[in-house]
Amino acid sequence: MVFILSSAFLISVIFTGLVNSLYAQKEQVTLTAIVAEPKERWDVLFDNASKKLNENHPDMDIQIDYRVLPYDATRTQILTSMAGRTPIDLISVDQIWLGEFAEGGFLTDLTQNATSWGREGDWYPVNWEGGKYEDKIYGIWAWTDVRALWYWKDLLRDAGVDPRTLETWNGYLSAAQKLNDALGQQGIQGSHLVGASHSPDMWYPYLWMLGGDILEERSGHPTKGTYWFPAYNSTEGVQSLEFIKRQVDAGIKPQVNHFWGQEFADKKFAMMLEGSWLLGTFPREQWAGLNQSVGMIPMFPVPNEGNKSATMMGGWVLSIPETSENKDLSWELLTLLVDPEILTTMLEKEGYLPTQKPIAEGSYSQSLNATIPYYSDMISMIPVGHSRPNIPEYPQISDNIREAIDGVYFGGKDPGQALQESAVKTAEVLGW
Amino acid sequence: MAQISKLQPYLFLAPSFAILLVFLIFPLSWNIYIALHDVSLITLLKEWEYVGLENFVTLFDDPNFYTSLKVTLMFVGGSVALQFGMGILMAIVLNQQIRGSGVYRAILIIPWTISAVIAAFSFKFILDDNFGILNFILNQLGVESVGWLSDPNIVIWSLVMANMWYGTPFTLLFLTAGLLSINPSLYEAARIDGASKMRSLFHITLPLLKPFMIINLILITMWSVNLFDIQLIMTGGGPLFSSTTASLYMYRQAFEFGLLSKGAAAGIILILINLTVAVIYVKFLRR
Repeated sequence: MVFILSSAFLISVIFTGLVNSLYAQKEQVTLTAIVAEPKERWDVLFDNASKKLNENHPDMDIQIDYRVLPYDATRTQILTSMAGRTPIDLISVDQIWLGEFAEGGFLTDLTQNATSWGREGDWYPVNWEGGKYEDKIYGIWAWTDVRALWYWKDLLRDAGVDPRTLETWNGYLSAAQKLNDALGQQGIQGSHLVGASHSPDMWYPYLWMLGGDILEERSGHPTKGTYWFPAYNSTEGVQSLEFIKRQVDAGIKPQVNHFWGQEFADKKFAMMLEGSWLLGTFPREQWAGLNQSVGMIPMFPVPNEGNKSATMMGGWVLSIPETSENKDLSWELLTLLVDPEILTTMLEKEGYLPTQKPIAEGSYSQSLNATIPYYSDMISMIPVGHSRPNIPEYPQISDNIREAIDGVYFGGKDPGQALQESAVKTAEVLGW
Repeated sequence: MAQISKLQPYLFLAPSFAILLVFLIFPLSWNIYIALHDVSLITLLKEWEYVGLENFVTLFDDPNFYTSLKVTLMFVGGSVALQFGMGILMAIVLNQQIRGSGVYRAILIIPWTISAVIAAFSFKFILDDNFGILNFILNQLGVESVGWLSDPNIVIWSLVMANMWYGTPFTLLFLTAGLLSINPSLYEAARIDGASKMRSLFHITLPLLKPFMIINLILITMWSVNLFDIQLIMTGGGPLFSSTTASLYMYRQAFEFGLLSKGAAAGIILILINLTVAVIYVKFLRR
């Protein structure tokens, strides 16, 4: 009996030792990430990337601890973590935050990694540049969105509006009036005009299509030599804001509350200029037949027929904070997250647009084309897509531009005067 | 032994002082320190340059700051007047021998138990210019829609309305506690002496309720001065800064624009406003 017990004890000790030694060989690593809502997209991405990462490192047990936060909270949480030197390995950065985060020393310079990676040529140039600040790469723009003109086919038909007339400024205005007259009694408004805090984003395309820009580089800055100077108060700026004023004068009401396309999906508006995320407000099972009821024109209205349009591109950049204690592994994770094999699955499920040509136009595009309504039309807008300046002062500049737009919307201001006053403030913000 | 006795009161005070030090004195000193240095998102991880009162000068050079003070005055004035007026009225009415007054009181307290964020979202939808129920009702009555959240002259009163709904239950609760502390025999004596209900109200209730009213006024004023969630969610401060109160101005400078020092300087001005208000009320209390 004693022999049996002693043998069992000995075997268990040996077995435990073996298991422990095997287990001890695997290095435990947890990568932490702070990313912005919605959660579903990250679940798909991290799940697939984590499997691949562990396959690449059989000697490691890599866990990914990611926190998904609302948009505003993401920025605050990232800043708090950076200020407290909390080690974070990966963050999602709105493209307009990149400058201030990089300037503040929060982000790792990824230029070396990106150069050795050699995938720059796969990105659309505008998207690759969006991850740069002062010629250094601080992030990889993972996916994007474009703004386009959406309309309800039946409502336009009932009001006797030909969708093709929406392509020009005059056509758009007369269509909006016609729709208001025909549908007003049903509580449906003809057209939507953004009056919420992101109203500048919906004005920029008109500025860009006329050849104007938000900022321009100018020499003679008191401290920085050559630096950015406000350019949005140019003739093009005034002309584009005058078009906004014409919309207000035509009876299109600026909407101070914004529901990101839900108001269109609920048929409160007959047409709406909105981002490609609008598709997400329709149930997935309706996507297949959506083009029967909803039409899309891949452009912002232009001054005259034949003019080139423009749009604004947003989206998320993936970056590695300076506080990361696993920079090499984080970079590997980042490259896996934007790997076409992994990323395409998420884009297909969630309806976002790629920033990489192999996904947008190559072999991967077939599945996206088959599932996302108007996919190829949206992709056709990328070449006319512009991004906002990602300099540290941008949030204040955007606020000044919003003030000018609000002045026209609600204060009855002349567009030229409103932009001029705003540009004076912006010049001051930029240190001129 | 005598020495220990002298130390004893200070030892008893030590825990309270430690709490004050950690939760009040340290954050306040840190705020002052930040306001006297150049701290922004860009310099956060670098060396902070001492700039003296420069952040306060920048603050007082900003016309939007003065606008925010004016807006604060309207918001706080309106909110306190309505919260206090409605609160005291309801407290007095519900303190009468009305059947079911306890139930009414419980129902009326509900707004105060929910988060300000939820209250703000609810009012944002109720007051939506185009799809809000309030304009829908007005339209049904043949009245034109009102730009509750888009008219710069009206928007601040929409916020006051939301804050009144949210904050009045506190006054109701607080003053009810005050009313219950008044000895009922005083009313009985007054009634025997032939005093009417109105005379009792003005000569017994209100004088005895005065300390409660002053403390209530101090609290609701300070809360209204510091409140920013309702404004942030309902209007974001717009249009044209017409709903940017000083607290929202401070938040936006620090957390939206990354100008932490300017935000800290605005925070100190807010503290001074709160202190001034408290001193004025306390002086009234001592009269």
